[in-house]
Formats: sequence, C-alpha cells, structure tokens
Amino acid sequence: MVGKQGRVTGKIGPGLVGEVMVAVRGGVEAFYAHATVPDEEIPTGSIVIVVDYFPPRTVYVARALV
Amino acid sequence: MPTEYLVIGGAVLVALLVIIMLFKAVWRVAEPNEALIISGLGARGKTELTDSLGFKIVTGKGTSVLPGFQTARRLRLDSRAANLQVSCVTQQGIPVVVKGVVIYKVGDDLHSIANAARRFLDQQDSMNGAIHELFTGHLRSIIGNLTVEDLILNRERLTGETRASAADEMIKLGLIVDSLQIQEIDDETGYITNLGKPHAARIAASARIAEAQRDQEATEAEQIAAANKASAWRDSQIKQAAYQAEIDEAQARSRQAGPLSEASARQEVVVQETRAAELEAALAEQRLQAQVRKPADARAYETVTLSQAERDARIAQAEAEARETELRATAQASQVKQAAAAEAESVRLRGLAAAEATKATGLGDAEAAKARGLAAAEAAQAQGLAEAEAARAKGLAEAEAIRARAQALAENQEAVIAQQLAENWPKIVESGAKAFGNVDHMVVLNGAQGIEEMLAKALTLGGTGLGLARSLLNGATPNGTAANGTGPETNGKAVDPAP
Repeated sequence: MVGKQGRVTGKIGPGLVGEVMVAVRGGVEAFYAHATVPDEEIPTGSIVIVVDYFPPRTVYVARALV
Repeated sequence: MPTEYLVIGGAVLVALLVIIMLFKAVWRVAEPNEALIISGLGARGKTELTDSLGFKIVTGKGTSVLPGFQTARRLRLDSRAANLQVSCVTQQGIPVVVKGVVIYKVGDDLHSIANAARRFLDQQDSMNGAIHELFTGHLRSIIGNLTVEDLILNRERLTGETRASAADEMIKLGLIVDSLQIQEIDDETGYITNLGKPHAARIAASARIAEAQRDQEATEAEQIAAANKASAWRDSQIKQAAYQAEIDEAQARSRQAGPLSEASARQEVVVQETRAAELEAALAEQRLQAQVRKPADARAYETVTLSQAERDARIAQAEAEARETELRATAQASQVKQAAAAEAESVRLRGLAAAEATKATGLGDAEAAKARGLAAAEAAQAQGLAEAEAARAKGLAEAEAIRARAQALAENQEAVIAQQLAENWPKIVESGAKAFGNVDHMVVLNGAQGIEEMLAKALTLGGTGLGLARSLLNGATPNGTAANGTGPETNGKAVDPAP
C-alpha cells in the first residue's frame, strides 16, 4: 500500500475523514484518508501518495508531486 | 481375454471414480464473491503481521480441506442493502422522516474479512438488522449536522458526515460502506414545499411575462403585417382607380368628341345669333326711344303740367266761391237778424196797440161775447175735434217733411232754424195773437201788464218751438208733431193787428 498513488474522492482536512481511491489487489478500493501534515486540506480530485497504511482501511496521505 | 480387459477397465474406472470423489471431498474452491474461512489442523493464516489469525482465509482460489481435521466455512463478500427509516431533526430544528438505504459489504482485505468472520460468520443473514440499528443512530447524528438544503443538494457533505461518524465502527465490524442514499424525506412542516415555492412562483411569473411578451410581439407583428397589407391594398386600389379614371376620362372624351365639336359649332352659331339679336334689340330700343318714349314723355309732361294748372285754377275758384258763400251767408244772417228784430219790434208795438184796443172794446163786448162765446165754444169744440184730426194727419206728413229736411240741413241747423223761425215769425205772432181773437170778453186782472204777460206767454210758445226743434234735431227722434203752430186758423176771427 505504501508508495501507491490514489485519487481523493472525499475532502481531506482537519476534523474530517477523507476518502481516497487506491488501485490495490487488481481492483480499486476506497480507504479512509487523513493528511500526514496536520491541518492540511486536500480537495477532491487531487492526486495523493500513500505515506502510511493502518490496516484494515486507513491511510495517511500527502500531496503527490505531480 | 476380453473379460480380463473388461475387469481391468472396470477396475480402472472405479479407481478413477474413487479418486474423483476423494478429490471432490477434499478440494474446496472460493468463488469471487466469497471467502473460505478454514479452521482446524494446521490452518494458520499467513499474514504480513506477526501474530496469527488462528484460521486461514482463502479468496479467489482452491485449497484442500482435510475432512474431519479441518472445516471450511464460506463468508459472502456480496454487497448488501439495509433499508433505513429515521425520524430526526435537521440543523435548523425541522423534524423530518428520512428514508434511506445503506449499501455495504465485507471488506476485501484479510483484516476486514477476519473481523467480519469473527462477528458475522454464523449470522450472515442478521447482518442487515445490526447494520440497520447501527446506521439509524448514525443517521440521526449525520442529519442533525446538516440542513434540509444540504440533505437534498449536498452529497459531498452527506457522505463526509457518514464517513466521519461511522468509519471507525465499520472498521471494527470489517465492513465497508459503499453508498449511503437518502431516498425520501417526509417533511411534516411543508418546509421543502415552501422552499420551492418562491422559485416556482418566479419561474411561473417569468413564464407568464415571457408568454405575454411573445404574445404581444406576435400580435404587434401580426397587426403591423395586417396594416402593411391594408396599406398596400389601398395603394394598389388607389392606383387602379386613378388609372381607371384616366381610362374612363379618355373614353368619355373620345365618345364626346363628336357631340362636343357639334356643340361648340352650335355654340358659335348661338353666340353669333345672340350678337345679332342683341344688336336688333338695341336698334329697336333706340327706335323706341326716339319714336315713342320721347314723344310720350313730352305728352305726359304736357298733360301733367296742364292738369296741374287746371287743378290750381279749380282750387282757386273753389276757394273764391267758398269765400263768397261764406260772406253771403254772413250777410244774409245779419240781414235776417235785423229783419227779425225789426219785425219783433213792430209786432210788439202792434200787439201793444191791439191790446189797448181790445181792452177798450173787450169791456163792451164782454157780455155779448160771453153768450156768443158759449155757442161758439160748442161749435168750436165740435169743429176743433174735426180739425184736430186733420191737423194730426197733416202734422204726421209734415213731420216726415221736417225729418227729411232736418237730415238734409243737419249741417246748417242753426241757420236754417233761425231762418225758418224768421220766415214764420209773423205767422207765429199772428197765431199767438189769434188766441185772443177768439175771446169775446176777457177780464184781465192786472191791466196792461197782464195782457203783455199773456202775449209774452203766447209768443214764448213759439220760442219754445225753437228749443223743441233744436232738441229734436239733436236727439234725431222727431215725434212727428210740428213744434210750432202753422197756418192761420180758419175758424174764428183773425185779429187784425192794429198798429
């Protein structure tokens, strides 16, 4: 999971639980997402990279340097 | 030989069947939508994590399960739907009844499958009830954080709130929420209906406005088109009429050309004839002036002048005659007056003398007269009656004559009466004196004065005749009796007026 890129489908921000879609296990799955940098806001549609993965379905993401 | 082959073949077949049945009993395949949970001898899940699950999870492939030593259970990974119906209150405090559906499944990773297997493996059918209870609670908190407008419009917020409130618990249960859908919102207060009304009214108003404007534009366009059509038709009609009028005029002119030339020729003739007639009339007038009117004027002038002169002469003559008549009348009147005066004087004197004589003789004769008078009175009475008849008849005739004469001489009453009186004066006096002639013997009580009085009374009888005549003429009602005594008495002796 770590190092995979994903697409934000639910806004990530302080006090919110975001959602990212990540290609995994041959499909695309939704994971609950939080920002690595506190108080960072990542709007819907941004590309992010998974920095940390907490099973079963939580990831910490940062903005991908596209 | 064939029997051996048959036996061998049958044995082989049986062996194959046995092998297949054994394989079928041992080998289990997980379908794409399920996970095999294998527990028992040697079933240790090899995960990335250090500690073991205590059972093996197989997805998407086959594995051998030793009957008797291991058990294989299937966990369905299908998505499931749980219907929700929640009475709750929105952020604005508006009570709503929300009907929704939550679509969830068991997570595809081993951790989620392990969590879900531990919780739901034997009660997969009652999952929906648990999820329903769970999400009913969550939905209350979710909707309490939203406004009605968000609920309707803002899917982002709805899913965000759903994740925020339910994520951790779903992780605990090993489930994933694929979708949370609000199907129906029952709004008892009519908030949603009213929410739409301003917009609906605005849209309806703008629709009506647009319709009215388009209708107006269309009507205007139609009317303009109709007006243009009418004006074009009018112009065309006017032009046609003008051309038609020109055509008619030309035709009429051509039709009238013959009669017109004829008429103009005739007009020339008439003009010339008129000139000739005028000249003739002038000539006749000149001739009339010279031959008739001038002489007639001269004659008329002459006649007028002559008649004026004649009239003047007649007027002068009449004036002269009138003057002459007037003078003669005055002269006659004065003459009559003088004669009357003289006559009266002589009568008075004669009367006086006669009275004296009568007085002297009367005394002597009184006796004789008395006797004679008695006889004579008898006779005279008889005769008088007869004469009275005669006198009445005569008087009637004379009254007629007098009335005629009075009418004829009404203008000159005074003069005529005076003249008549003057003419008859001697007879009057004579008659007055005749009364005494019939008296043989008269006693006069107061001498000469008495006789004078008697005479005067007798004479005034004649004088009253004049007054009576005047009144008769003025009243114009003659009684047919002669006012004055006329004619001398035939009987009795006439008194000789002694001078």
